[in-house]
Amino acid sequence: MKHKTDNIWIGQKDLVQDQEFLSTVDSEFNSDSSTLADATSSLSGNRRDFLKFLGFGLGAATIAAGCDIPVKKAIPYVIKPDEIVPGIANYYASSFVNGGDYCSILVKTREGRPIKIEGNALSPVTKGGTSARAQASVLSLYDTNRIKGPQVKDGARWKDTTWQEIDKMMVPTLSSNGIRIISHTNMSPTSKKAIAEFVAKYPNTKVVTYDPVSASALLDANQLNFGVRAVPSYHFDKASVIVSFNADFLGTWISPIEYAADFAKGRAINDVTKASMSRLIQVENHMSLTGSNADNRILVRPSEQGVAIAHLYNEIVGGGPSSDGLNDKAKKAISKVASELKSKQGSSLVVSASNNVSEQLMINAINNALGNYGTTLDISMPSYQRQGNDTDLKAFVDDVKSGSVDLLLVYGANPVYDTVYGKELGDTISKIKNKVSFATVMDETSALCDVIVPTHHYLESWGDVEVKKGQYSLIQPTISPLFNSRQAEESLLKWCGSSTVDMMSEQPYYEYLKDNWKNTMFGGQNGYATFQGFWDSALHDGIYSQNSASSVAYTSAPLSGGITKPSKSEIEISFFETVHLANGQYAGNPWLMEMPDPVARTSWDNYLAVPVSFDGFRNMVGFNDLVDGDVVEIQVGEKSMKVPVIQQFGQMPGTVSLALGYGRTEAGNTGSNVGQNVNDCITKGENGPQLYNTAVTVSGKVDKTKEFACVQYHHTIGVKGVDNKTGEVINADEAALVYFDYFTGATGFQGALTDRSVIYTSNVKDVAENAESLKHKREHAQHLNAQQIYGGFDDKYALGHHWGMHIDLNACVGCGACTIACMSENNVPVVGRKEVSRHHEMTWLRIDRYYYGDVNNPNTVYQPMMCQHCDNAPCENVCPVNATNHSAEGLNQMAYNRCIGTRYCANNCPYKVRRFNWLDYTKADLWPINQPTLRNESTPFMADNLTRMVLNPDVTVRSRGVIEKCSFCVQRIQEGKLTAKIEGRSLLDGDVKTACQTACPTNAITFGDFNDHEGTLNKKLESPLTYIALEEINVRSSVNYTMKVNNRDEALDA
Amino acid sequence: MSINKYLKFKAIVLFCFVLISFSARAEVSSDQGKKLFTNNCAACHAKDMRSAATGPALGGAQAKWDNQDDLHAWIRNSQALIQSGNPRAVELWNKYKPVVMTSFGSLSDDDIASILLYIDDVYTGKAGPKKADAVAAAPEKPKSKLPLYLIVAAILGILSLLMARIIGMLNEVVTSREGKPERARTFKEIFTSKGVMTFLTFAIIIMGGYFTVNKAVNLGRQEGYKPEQPIKFSHATHAGVNKIDCKYCHDSARRSKVSGIPSANTCMNCHAAIKVGSTYGTAEITKIYASVGYDPNTGTYIQDVQNKSEDDLKAIYTKWIGDKYKESKELASLDAEGEHQVALQWQNIKKSLTNDLKTSIYGPINWVRIHNLPDHVYFNHSQHVSVGKLACQTCHGAIETMDVVQQMSPLSMGWCINCHRQTEVKFKDNAYYANYKQLHDELASGKKSKVTVSDIGGLECQKCHY
Repeated sequence: MKHKTDNIWIGQKDLVQDQEFLSTVDSEFNSDSSTLADATSSLSGNRRDFLKFLGFGLGAATIAAGCDIPVKKAIPYVIKPDEIVPGIANYYASSFVNGGDYCSILVKTREGRPIKIEGNALSPVTKGGTSARAQASVLSLYDTNRIKGPQVKDGARWKDTTWQEIDKMMVPTLSSNGIRIISHTNMSPTSKKAIAEFVAKYPNTKVVTYDPVSASALLDANQLNFGVRAVPSYHFDKASVIVSFNADFLGTWISPIEYAADFAKGRAINDVTKASMSRLIQVENHMSLTGSNADNRILVRPSEQGVAIAHLYNEIVGGGPSSDGLNDKAKKAISKVASELKSKQGSSLVVSASNNVSEQLMINAINNALGNYGTTLDISMPSYQRQGNDTDLKAFVDDVKSGSVDLLLVYGANPVYDTVYGKELGDTISKIKNKVSFATVMDETSALCDVIVPTHHYLESWGDVEVKKGQYSLIQPTISPLFNSRQAEESLLKWCGSSTVDMMSEQPYYEYLKDNWKNTMFGGQNGYATFQGFWDSALHDGIYSQNSASSVAYTSAPLSGGITKPSKSEIEISFFETVHLANGQYAGNPWLMEMPDPVARTSWDNYLAVPVSFDGFRNMVGFNDLVDGDVVEIQVGEKSMKVPVIQQFGQMPGTVSLALGYGRTEAGNTGSNVGQNVNDCITKGENGPQLYNTAVTVSGKVDKTKEFACVQYHHTIGVKGVDNKTGEVINADEAALVYFDYFTGATGFQGALTDRSVIYTSNVKDVAENAESLKHKREHAQHLNAQQIYGGFDDKYALGHHWGMHIDLNACVGCGACTIACMSENNVPVVGRKEVSRHHEMTWLRIDRYYYGDVNNPNTVYQPMMCQHCDNAPCENVCPVNATNHSAEGLNQMAYNRCIGTRYCANNCPYKVRRFNWLDYTKADLWPINQPTLRNESTPFMADNLTRMVLNPDVTVRSRGVIEKCSFCVQRIQEGKLTAKIEGRSLLDGDVKTACQTACPTNAITFGDFNDHEGTLNKKLESPLTYIALEEINVRSSVNYTMKVNNRDEALDA
Repeated sequence: MSINKYLKFKAIVLFCFVLISFSARAEVSSDQGKKLFTNNCAACHAKDMRSAATGPALGGAQAKWDNQDDLHAWIRNSQALIQSGNPRAVELWNKYKPVVMTSFGSLSDDDIASILLYIDDVYTGKAGPKKADAVAAAPEKPKSKLPLYLIVAAILGILSLLMARIIGMLNEVVTSREGKPERARTFKEIFTSKGVMTFLTFAIIIMGGYFTVNKAVNLGRQEGYKPEQPIKFSHATHAGVNKIDCKYCHDSARRSKVSGIPSANTCMNCHAAIKVGSTYGTAEITKIYASVGYDPNTGTYIQDVQNKSEDDLKAIYTKWIGDKYKESKELASLDAEGEHQVALQWQNIKKSLTNDLKTSIYGPINWVRIHNLPDHVYFNHSQHVSVGKLACQTCHGAIETMDVVQQMSPLSMGWCINCHRQTEVKFKDNAYYANYKQLHDELASGKKSKVTVSDIGGLECQKCHY
């Protein structure tokens, strides 16, 4: 089989030069015709209607002209809170927590309402980074599906009730025999204390903790080896070789924000002449986010994970179980990996997401044999981000089935959906006499409960987190509760009649929390003499660290449980957690639902990832001859479902994959009935769920999906194709212009480009050489640009500021936190599946994914792409109304109110970053016909006053018919400048940070002033790996990228 | 040492001390004092130093203190001095309590000396808050050029009539020479002639277009908008007569994008003491009390005011209005006119403070917003007030003369742009602008006489639209 290397492609359609695809890239917005067709069909207009509209329009205009301007009110506070100045944002330190997901954050509030999440740089764990989930959590505060107050089930309907009624109702149920509190991982010491008080009062209570994606085996193994049931602290920055067995630690596994930052540190290249970086080897079958960032991927089937680990164990430790059944290629590769690991004693790291205790014990033994404990991983400061216990969960399900549970308190969990036992539980949960849910929004479990006692959203709550041993952070409310909710812990304390808390105080749980901190944390510090001082400082910082590391010794444990046996089935299916939806916890959040999967770049559905292989000639052959968007019928165990297909490079032949977290039935307007639920397809396994299944069949194509919402082939740049008429290789997106070639008589000028510089890659070994060739290439481009009639205007920007950006593609892991931060900051609308499938997604910042290297097992580059703010911008001079033009500070400005929607600018943008408001996505218009609904809901998204509270008041909400695009967060630039002016000082480096920059966990994005010669931006530009995308077309863009460098070991591919 | 010598010695020492202190007090100046006064004192003390505001008038106050150190101590921490039993301090406290003077512990002796110097200067008329400060900043109306235009138009009109007459006469001559029968055209013929019709149609289209465009451009503009407000708050009384600094109430103007409609508790800073208005008596001030839940009879805030019934509140405020009426008329009980006044004022309070959406009397006052910018315009007060150091009157007009505020400026984009073209940036005083080196050089070399807002990008779209 021929390998096509040194080539970059965006996907299968690009590689095989799919004619249909190439014809769509000609036009900026695909399916323009369908828009018109759809619009007319939905208008169902005829001549009479036209006359009606015309008549009405004229009438309305006449009336409007005759009317007075509506009277607007200016309503001040009665008593203005001291800390609020209208128009000025306040920031409060808090923590984003959802089960085991954690991020220390600053909450930006305006006039008392949270509008944006920023990272908290003081945190030693997340270090100011954020994730897409944390960024989007502010939208869930304003979810219209939130439960408005306590409710009791009355037959099939929910009836509103009062807290007094609830408390009265709970009294008799609490004396029952079997009480269970079921929750996801709970990292809060004070919450645990409240639960402990409840358990002490009602000793028949058992607390069941589980994780939607279980890490139970990892915890159990550490219990056996170290006596600590926790996750060690991993230091990916200190490891020069990282081997990950299916652990998606950059995307979803345990603490991705922390790990991504560390990982990026180990990948930084400071000196090209002495370049070195860590090597990541991912052993998996499906291209995960971590796998896509890996240097080498070793493909094993899901059922081979056990023997793969065993093979490495045998090579390094020896004496383990047989590795029979592991494919030969992987076997050879792992042997080579083993010798490399052995040469990197103490600076290597092996991790695994396996949920098999014996396999995790082997991983621990390998790390121990390599001397990694104490260097690259550290159990003396364990992380509590996973605490679930599969055994407890199984026992709970059995108890429910046997009818021995009388009262169930569901606290931050949704076991009917997000466990492998969901279906059984759903069928038998009615055996529990009393079922009480603390949910904030309706979910599958709450729907089956009798009582819902809604707890606060985390942005309305008090709380604390012990994320790692001695690493505490606080949660503080940033808005008064929007609805009639009550904190779950307060309910528990009330029901158990706790004497330690004053229920009559205004915020009982706040007092309880403070008391707990006074009695525990305050004693352990000596920085503050008074508790108030200590508390104020901890609350201000959002975090508090206590040095309480204790050394823990490794004791070996017998591998008694056995490992996963390789299957001989023809095909296997693996299930994976996605970066955006997790196991469905975030499915109700429109921002996350529309966020494309970083690797497959699909949204609004779970697509079956099928392998593709190169036929040795020109075609990529999909599994079962399937292509993107085909619908297949798959049978997993007893469950049969129809799913759309996406061809996935790097997917191991003989395996298919499907994402968890879809197919929810009770997830509000956004999340319900999107895709297929596969939680009940997961192999139950003897000691916990295993995220694959071997009993699977996949049919051929049975249908074609109408709304194929994959953004990978939208807004492409630099795609090459063969022109049918001439047989020449041309740029697909500039096909019309290639004929200008003869006119200029030279290649390489605008409009006649065949060799575009979008992505540069290099192996770390050749980086000096490639940096040299990049230099020549850039010199050539600059030489051509200098000959242009359009010279530079660089002298123009010497005055004042000249804004620019640098994006380090080596640091970018593609997690997508920046894309959600951008939506949140800039009021970017969500458009819904249908609109996405028509190329109408509105994202100002997208992350382009490119594959390069080995077609069968490629490497990946993620390129965040936004408006490049070209100083010689092609969009500006085609605007007939001058709605887009250039500022003296080098910003490409967009005046929405001047835009008349010709879309010439979008057409002329070489980076395809301009977005057109085809419909009224933000409900700024009066005509309902222009308002698309995301999912046929009664009130369209953003049409209600609750959701609109999330809007940033400093950014205009765009109306239908105008173009919009990245503004370099001009509102932040202006704010930073104004602050400096008011303080009468120069603008300092770092005073202005864009939303994408602050969101990034790996600091891949640097924004700054080119004129600040000492600034970080200019320092970064000095690297010889820096380049400008499409430099040769002389648009003089202000965004710089770096060459992507990998550390692929070709020897492992053999 | 004899007494004489001792005194001599002391005098020398004192002289030296004075010399030293003079050299050290290079900082003590009326200008410095003005700055400090504006920042620290102007919130409570009137700028003219003669009228009492929240705090007493300061003119001549210095002379009332025997010991200047005590005065300094008083300014730094008045309560401490009262505690220590200083007679002047206790006297002042008895006069003004419970209003506590803010402590200014951070002011140095020089600072205080500067402030006192400034106060004295203003009091004695050497310096003063420039009345012109506000008024001068307001743009001067350009002299109308209309008469000139009229004269030119008249001359042109006469000329064209003359020309028409000459042409007509020449035509007559021509036709008579050609021997055609001479017949004057009727008026009807003239007015229905092709030329006139064309001219009229053309004129109608031009005029119609002109008016349509102008009217359309003006849609949504509210220059001169002067709505009635729920409380007859008079800026003339507050800013004009009492000379309260604009930024005392509109305090966010200097630090935020919005100037901020003051919350009712800001009103209460003064109106806890000033309970009867100079113009409307109890009629308007009682509305503040009702909105903030303050009982003027007892001088306390009403407990649990949200849950008080309307009748309870009515009892409180009608009692207050009635009492004040009786006081003013020196009556023992309400007369018929009094009853009527009380009922009328209460009706008015209720009407002003409630509407369809707000049924309770307690709660925020729904002012009518006068200055509206469209949502796609970003305007920041602090940029103009704190950085640009513009007087409020530049845009809002002579607000200190308005009993009812009206919008003085069109708030149109052309109006903004014009100002940005003409207004000079406070370029040299602000270190922020240091990185505009080229402009600094041009200023230094005299190539440029001033740097306007437009020179530093003040006309660009994304300075206001984003």
